[in-house]
Amino acid sequence: MSKPYTLDELLAIAVAREIHDYENVVLGVGVPMTAGALAKALFAPHATLMMESGIVDIRPLLSLNNIADAHSARGFSYATDLFSAFTATYRGFVDVCFLGVAQVDKFGNLNTTVIGDYEKPTMRLPGSGGAADFIAYSKRTVLTMRGGTFVNKLDYFTSPGYLDGGDSRDRTGLFPQGSGPSALISTKGVFRFDPATKEMYLAEIFPAVDIESIKKDIPWELKVASDLSVTQRPSDEEIDFIRNFAPELSAGRELAADLRAARLRNKAEQRARKHVS
Amino acid sequence: MGEASGKVMSAREAIEKFVHDGDEVVIGNYTVGSCAELVYEIIRQGRKGFTLYSQSGIFDVEVLVAGGCVNRLVTTYVLRSGGKKGGSAVERALNAGTLEIEDYTNFEYNARLVAGMHGFTFMPVLEGVRVTDIFRKRGFMGENKFQIISCPYTRREIVTVPAATPDVCVIHVQRADTDGNAQYWGAMGSVAAAALSSKKIIVSCEEIVEHDIIQSSPHLTIIPAYRVNAVVEVPWGAHPTEVLGYYNVDTFMYNGLFTAAAATADGLAAWMDEWVYGCPDRTAYIDRYIQRFGVETLNELRARPLYSAPANYGAAFTSHWDHEGRERSMGVTLPQLEKLLKERGKLYE
Repeated sequence: MSKPYTLDELLAIAVAREIHDYENVVLGVGVPMTAGALAKALFAPHATLMMESGIVDIRPLLSLNNIADAHSARGFSYATDLFSAFTATYRGFVDVCFLGVAQVDKFGNLNTTVIGDYEKPTMRLPGSGGAADFIAYSKRTVLTMRGGTFVNKLDYFTSPGYLDGGDSRDRTGLFPQGSGPSALISTKGVFRFDPATKEMYLAEIFPAVDIESIKKDIPWELKVASDLSVTQRPSDEEIDFIRNFAPELSAGRELAADLRAARLRNKAEQRARKHVS
Repeated sequence: MGEASGKVMSAREAIEKFVHDGDEVVIGNYTVGSCAELVYEIIRQGRKGFTLYSQSGIFDVEVLVAGGCVNRLVTTYVLRSGGKKGGSAVERALNAGTLEIEDYTNFEYNARLVAGMHGFTFMPVLEGVRVTDIFRKRGFMGENKFQIISCPYTRREIVTVPAATPDVCVIHVQRADTDGNAQYWGAMGSVAAAALSSKKIIVSCEEIVEHDIIQSSPHLTIIPAYRVNAVVEVPWGAHPTEVLGYYNVDTFMYNGLFTAAAATADGLAAWMDEWVYGCPDRTAYIDRYIQRFGVETLNELRARPLYSAPANYGAAFTSHWDHEGRERSMGVTLPQLEKLLKERGKLYE
C-alpha cells in the first residue's frame, strides 16, 4: 500500500495521466501545471509543455503563479507570442489542453464569465481568457474541477463543449472533427463523454468516495459506466513529486489559506515588536 | 541622440503630456510585470472617461476602475479578488452601472490589436466563437464587436474583429535606451501588439541602458525608438507584480494585502489611499514599503541572475578595406581607386 494522499493530489495525478509522451500540451495554472510537470518528470519526458503567453517547451522548476510566469522555469525553448500560440492551436498542433471549470453542463459546455446577469452580475468571474479558443481547436480538452458547479443551463456560454450533444458540435463545421472535451476530472472522480450522445458519464471513482456524494452535486440523472472503475491509487513517487513541486496544492485551498494568513499575522507581529524595542 | 531625444521624463510628466480624459488606453503588459507606476500615476492625476483595453486584467484594471478612470472595458479576463467569496472593483462598477464591459477571448482581443499594429482594418479570428455568448452578447461594440464576411478565395464564412488603435499604451519593460528602444523578454504574450497598435507609447523600464547594449541585442527589442513618446526609468516599476530577471511577484503584497483589500470597496479604497494616492511617486512607494515591511521583505524578491547565452552577431570583417588598406573585392587602395576614377573621367570638379 502506498502512502496516504489528498484528493487534490489524486486529482492532479489523474489529470497527469491524460498526458501522453510526445504530445503538445497547453497548460493552465494550478492543477494542470502541476500535472504537466508530473507527467513530464515521470512518464511523458518528450511532452512539450506550453502556455498561451507564448512560453513553449517549459522546464518547470516550481509551480507557476500564472500563465505568463517565466520565473518558475529553468528555461524554455521558444518564446513566441500569444497570437502565434493560438494560431498554432487553430492549425491543429495542440494535442491536449486543460481548462478549469466554474459552471459546466452535461455536454461539457463551460461558463467562466459570470454567475447571474451579464450586465448586473451576481458574481463576475474572470472571463474566457484563452478557454473558448483552446477547447475549440485543441484535439482534446481535459476539464479540471476543484470548486465549480454542474448545472442544467449555463448562466453564460463561454466555451463550447459538445453543444447540444450528439453530433451537434461536429455538424457546425466550426471545429476540428472529433475535438472537444475528453474528460472532466474532479476531486471525486473522472467523467467521460458518451461517444454517441456526448453526455457526460462517471467513468472512474476515486477510492473511498461514494457515488451518492457525486450524484448530489449533479442536477441531472447522472449516467454511470457499467464498468465503473476505481481510480488507481497514486504511487509514492507521484505523491512525493507533487509535495515537492507544488506543496500548496498538497495542502489544499483551505489549509494553505489558513497557513498563509497565520504567517502574515506572525510577520506583522514580529515587525511591531521590533519597532517597539 | 541620447538625453537630447527629450523622451526621458518622470511618470508624472509622461502621463500629464500623453494621457488625456476620454482616451482609449491600453495596458501593454500581459498578466505579468504590469506597469504599476504608470497606472498609479494615471489615477493620481485623476484621468477619467477611458475606454480601457486589458488582455488580462489584474490589479491594474482593478485600481483604474476603482479610481474612477474607466467608463468602458474591453477585456478577456478580469481578476476576481479572493475567489468566490471576494468581490472585485469591476463587479461592483458593473452593478453600479458606472462601467460597461466587452468580453472577447484571448485570441480575438489580441487580433484586434494585431490588426491595428499592422494598419489593417480588421482581422480574421477563430470561428468557433460563433456558438458562444461571447459572440452573441454585444455590449458597447454592438454589431461591430464581430462581423462575418465571406472569404474571397474559399467562399467560407469568416468571423472578423475590428482593428483597435488605442490613443496611448502604457507599458513596463526590463530596459530601454534614452531614445526609447524598449527591450522585453520572457512571456511575450500580446505585449508588442498592444504597444505597436497604439498612437502613442509610454515606456517605463527597470533601467535605462546604453544604446550600445540595445544595438548588441536587437532580438530583445519589442518597440523601436521611433514609436516611443516617453521613457520613464522606474526601478520596481511593476511591483507588486514581477519582472523577469529583476524581481519576483510579491505574494505578500499581492495575495496578502491587495486581494484581501480589493474584496470590498472600502478595503480597496483604504489600500489605494495608502499605496496609490499616499505615495507621490515610486520612490515614495518603495520607501513606504521598506518602512512598513522591512528592506529584507523587498530583498527576498530580487532575482538571482540566470543569463541567456549570448547570440554571436559577429562577421568576418567590419571594413571593406583589408589590413593593407586594399578593398577586399577590387584589390585597390582608396588613393588608387580615386586615381582610377580620375583617369576614367568619372570625377567632377
